[in-house]
Amino acid sequence: MLFGLLCITFAISHVAPGDPARLAAGPDATASMVEKIRAEYGLDRPLPVQFGQYLRGVLSGDLGRSLRTRETVAADLARYFPNTFELVTGAMLLAVGLGVPLGILSAVYRDTWVDQLTRVVSVSGIAIPAFWAGLMLQLLLALHLGILPLGGRLGLMTAPPAPVTHLLVVDALLGGHWRVLGDALAHAVLPTVTLCFPALASIVRVNRAEMLETLKQDYIVNARAQGVSELRIVARYALRNAMIPTLAMIGLRYGWMLGGTVLVETVFDWPGIGLYAVASAVSSDFQPIMGVTLVIGLNFMLANFVVDLAYGWLDPRVRSSMSA
Amino acid sequence: MRVLLTAALAVLVAASQGQAFERAGDRKILVFAGRQEVPTIDPSVKYDWSIRMAQQSLYDALVKYVGNPPEIVPWLAEKWESSPDAKTWTFHLVKTTRFHNGDPVTAEAVRFSFARTLKLNQGPAWTLAEFLKEDDIKVLNEHTIQFTLTQPYSPFLSWLPWWYVMNPKQVLANEQGGDLGQKWLTTNAAGSGPFKIKRWEQGVLYELEAIDGYWKGWPSKDHIGGIIYKIVRESAAQRAAVIRGEADIVEGLSSDDFDQVAKMPGIVVPNFPGMTTFGIKMNTQKGPTKDSNLRKAVCYAFDYDALIKIYNGHAVLQTSPFPNATRGYVPVSGIYRQDLAKAKEFLAKSTSPNGGVELEYVYVQGLEEERKMGLVLIDNLQKLNIAVKMVPLIWPNMVARGAKVETSPDMMAVFTTPLSSDPDAVAYQYHKGSFGKYYASSFYSNDAVWSLIDRARTIAKWEERAPIYADIQRRIAADAPEIFGMLANRRWAMRDHVKGFVFSPVRFTGEVDLYPLAIVAK
Repeated sequence: MLFGLLCITFAISHVAPGDPARLAAGPDATASMVEKIRAEYGLDRPLPVQFGQYLRGVLSGDLGRSLRTRETVAADLARYFPNTFELVTGAMLLAVGLGVPLGILSAVYRDTWVDQLTRVVSVSGIAIPAFWAGLMLQLLLALHLGILPLGGRLGLMTAPPAPVTHLLVVDALLGGHWRVLGDALAHAVLPTVTLCFPALASIVRVNRAEMLETLKQDYIVNARAQGVSELRIVARYALRNAMIPTLAMIGLRYGWMLGGTVLVETVFDWPGIGLYAVASAVSSDFQPIMGVTLVIGLNFMLANFVVDLAYGWLDPRVRSSMSA
Repeated sequence: MRVLLTAALAVLVAASQGQAFERAGDRKILVFAGRQEVPTIDPSVKYDWSIRMAQQSLYDALVKYVGNPPEIVPWLAEKWESSPDAKTWTFHLVKTTRFHNGDPVTAEAVRFSFARTLKLNQGPAWTLAEFLKEDDIKVLNEHTIQFTLTQPYSPFLSWLPWWYVMNPKQVLANEQGGDLGQKWLTTNAAGSGPFKIKRWEQGVLYELEAIDGYWKGWPSKDHIGGIIYKIVRESAAQRAAVIRGEADIVEGLSSDDFDQVAKMPGIVVPNFPGMTTFGIKMNTQKGPTKDSNLRKAVCYAFDYDALIKIYNGHAVLQTSPFPNATRGYVPVSGIYRQDLAKAKEFLAKSTSPNGGVELEYVYVQGLEEERKMGLVLIDNLQKLNIAVKMVPLIWPNMVARGAKVETSPDMMAVFTTPLSSDPDAVAYQYHKGSFGKYYASSFYSNDAVWSLIDRARTIAKWEERAPIYADIQRRIAADAPEIFGMLANRRWAMRDHVKGFVFSPVRFTGEVDLYPLAIVAK
């Protein structure tokens, strides 16, 4: 799958008419300067040779070098990916943490004001573009009320802790840097909420629909007839079944969010791989684009693998088929 | 209750517009919110506005551009002389100059720096590579250096502000695999400039600290103690940052935003005509625009005043192919202005006397001003029965299109900032030697003009050069290789406690000379 992804990305990148060597050399560069860069980065070789060399590099852990940043792609990804990972994971945890209970409440209190309110939230989350929501939140909470930072990962005068995991929040926690932790969390609030909103809406809608369907099942009616409490019915019998499609959606959504953070990262100056990918694309800088594709692809696969494992935990039929 | 709520909100909004600069001990740190990253600061490798703003702060050159109109003033060199034929140039260095690590700035360091840039053949190398060879740079003594050019070249001095001097010891100590220190100098500096690096968080922020005992001294006792250049990519966020007081200076706002923040208390918007020309380059060697009469018809049909309106009045029309601040600029009499009768007259003489052609207008995708200019073109050329097809492209694709005569579009919207104030920097854009570069996408061809350009750059005496450049400007305008558009004003939004700003049009859009800046807090 990853090989196919790389083939497609390489082909698309190289079909585009831009000349990366000329862009890297600068607008005033002479032909000899452009050729020097072309040779230095191997761009003067035939495309199959370039692709072959790239694949060999990938297998040995070398993802190439960026023409724009003049750094190795691996170093760039190590710098930017943890930020995106933190943002997306935080947003997804928030979306699941709020979305699942809201979906349950909406189904249990169907057609009441609770349900109506939840549906407004979910429809808004899907209908409002993330960048617009981000700008509005920024305008209200940062510019006018001044209770949250406008953007960035940390305050200007806050030095990041020594990297251990490269995840700022985790590193601040591990090192006991509470002021940095507070600053990092404050900077994360607006982008996390903005990114979380569409995912939250989807989770609420799917979970509500599945819960409604499940609550109509015979075994639920039977449980009710036996006098099992409503809380137990919902939490123990209905939710487990309703969560299976929701979980599939969470897996897909997580993969999509990893690759779709660019607008939020732009609005909040969040130094993640979305911004890195876009900056590379507009510079026709192919190797970073390939690197980002590879990392997102891998994470997408990983997220779905985790979801598959969770299926087994939720559904005994899957567990028994897996063990068989 | 409602009154209370409104009052509370008003207090919150007022409270949110606080001071901008940060403090580190007794140092006042200026915060500059810019959209562009600084991927490298190696003076031999690359330049653009944000890179050069950092380079200028970390390094010194032999001379420096200051003021408006730009003047070349002594810097590392206290004086210099050139031979009568402008072939040999001798510079005498200030004897008290020091690199940040305390090493003296010597003639050998200057030689090493020039040789390194020529050898790497990147960044500013193209400005002198044709005239200066490594072996022709001679150290006469510890504080005197001599450059002997391969041929007389008058504009030599005008490029030197961008050739920064590096400490050879530091560079060579950090060399990896014969890279002449390229990897290290990407994020480290080996200079003698007024600032040194404090923090370098790539893609996030870059912090520079003022050198207390800077060899040149500081122009103000309130000079900034440092600068944080923070990447803020979204224009709305930049605007919010300066309003809220999270930034002292922002660049790159839209015309409307600049106008709006200029009215706010505590914010000033310096507003100066720059040297960046906007022109619509026409392919002079292919397609309908190959016909000079059709090009002239287009030039006379265009509504130039619309350009000024697009920039809310903060622009001036070009009156010559050369920007006004260029040395030797002369206004060309009869430069094209909208005149439909003349447009029809020239169209009648063209190979398409009744119009009926479609011209492709290529512009940068997402650049609203260029899109509006395209709409103006559509409207104007409709009157000549000429259709305009608007094609937005991302910058790399545009550059690729403009690199070859076969692919260069009929019309391409181009902003160009000359790198020096010498007329050769602009004139040479119309020379065949510039073919392949985005600003030469008209592939202008005129042997007489080319030979005038070649001759003018070799003449030492300005009195002899000036009339040639006047002639060049008139001849280029007469050939109408482009719609000579306008010079948009350069603007920044600054908190009013920022003092000492010195504008020089030869700097790139967005670029600020940080050295003279001061913070005078109320």
